[in-house]
Amino acid sequence: MSVAAARPPAKVPLKNIFKIWFSLSIQSFGGGHATLALIRRAAVQNEAWVTDLEFTQYWALCQIAPGINLFALTILLGRKTGGAAGVAVALAGLALPSVTITILMTMLYARVRNAPATQAALNGLLPGTIGLGVVAAYQILRPLAVEAQKSGLVSMIVAAGVLVGSGVAVAKFHFPVIVALLGSGAICALESWLQSTYLDRRPLP
Amino acid sequence: MNPLHYFLLALKASLFSTGGFGNIPSMHDDLLARGWATERNFAEAMAVGQISPGPNGLWIISLGYFVNGVPGALLSLAAILIPPMLVLGVEWLYHRTKHHPAVEGFVRGMALAMVGIFATVLQRLLHDVGLNTRTILICGASIGAGLTQRVPVAAILIGAAALGLIFR
Repeated sequence: MSVAAARPPAKVPLKNIFKIWFSLSIQSFGGGHATLALIRRAAVQNEAWVTDLEFTQYWALCQIAPGINLFALTILLGRKTGGAAGVAVALAGLALPSVTITILMTMLYARVRNAPATQAALNGLLPGTIGLGVVAAYQILRPLAVEAQKSGLVSMIVAAGVLVGSGVAVAKFHFPVIVALLGSGAICALESWLQSTYLDRRPLP
Repeated sequence: MNPLHYFLLALKASLFSTGGFGNIPSMHDDLLARGWATERNFAEAMAVGQISPGPNGLWIISLGYFVNGVPGALLSLAAILIPPMLVLGVEWLYHRTKHHPAVEGFVRGMALAMVGIFATVLQRLLHDVGLNTRTILICGASIGAGLTQRVPVAAILIGAAALGLIFR
């Protein structure tokens, strides 16, 4: 069953779609988690575009779609509320304020970049940003590690090998990133398929 | 700097990754090799992307500005708007193949590799900022505060900048 087929799509005026996403965008300071919570409240509680379960299913699909997950979520919700025009309007509403502010902040930064106070602040800000990058990497890794652990020792060894091997391949041996990503995908696909075929641990298609 | 070439590199990086920071390893590789951006540009763009509203993935808008001004920022925007459209195809495909173990394994392998490569990029960025006690302490404090998930990201970054100003 299609996620979107749970009930007939709600008809929402394009103007309202734009307004709602525009206001979400302006409020969305504080990173992905804060923004996701805002969107969930608007889409599930305030506007009732989708049910709680539909929203969760949408979010799961966004995890495996390429690019920015929040854009993918905006696209799914935009289509649900207004078809192709809804997608365009929702994306425009989300992107317009946030992208404009991002460009203005970068321009402002480029002007004050060489001031001594800016350099001092950067000496704190940049390690802080990198630290948050580490947290983001950990949050992506954790569910993958749990899943590998559940699948047994072979999966854990393969997962650890792919994790370390891809980093070493790119950083030390200058593999193109895309080759490391697709190669790792292929290795884990093979491992997963062999396990299900010969060990019958996972459901067959 | 060739604008079309930059756009294609940014599009490739986003098309073959997921999440707002997933495209960092590929962009880092391609732009440093061509001399179109520096290590520091990446750290700066990530900082702006996390402070500004909207998804963290907007870091690449800031990077585009460093590479080629406002046109560069707009090229970045075009490049990150296209790949998420494939979620519509993913939805269609997923409902037909979601139980196939190879599909699930492929997605898992790409995500694992992204984390592995991202870790090496972070290590290089940290090295570029300058490895000293202050850097390591601030980075560690940011990791600790981030892991609690209770401290707002903006507060962590403002705190980190304030520490930089205090301990010059």
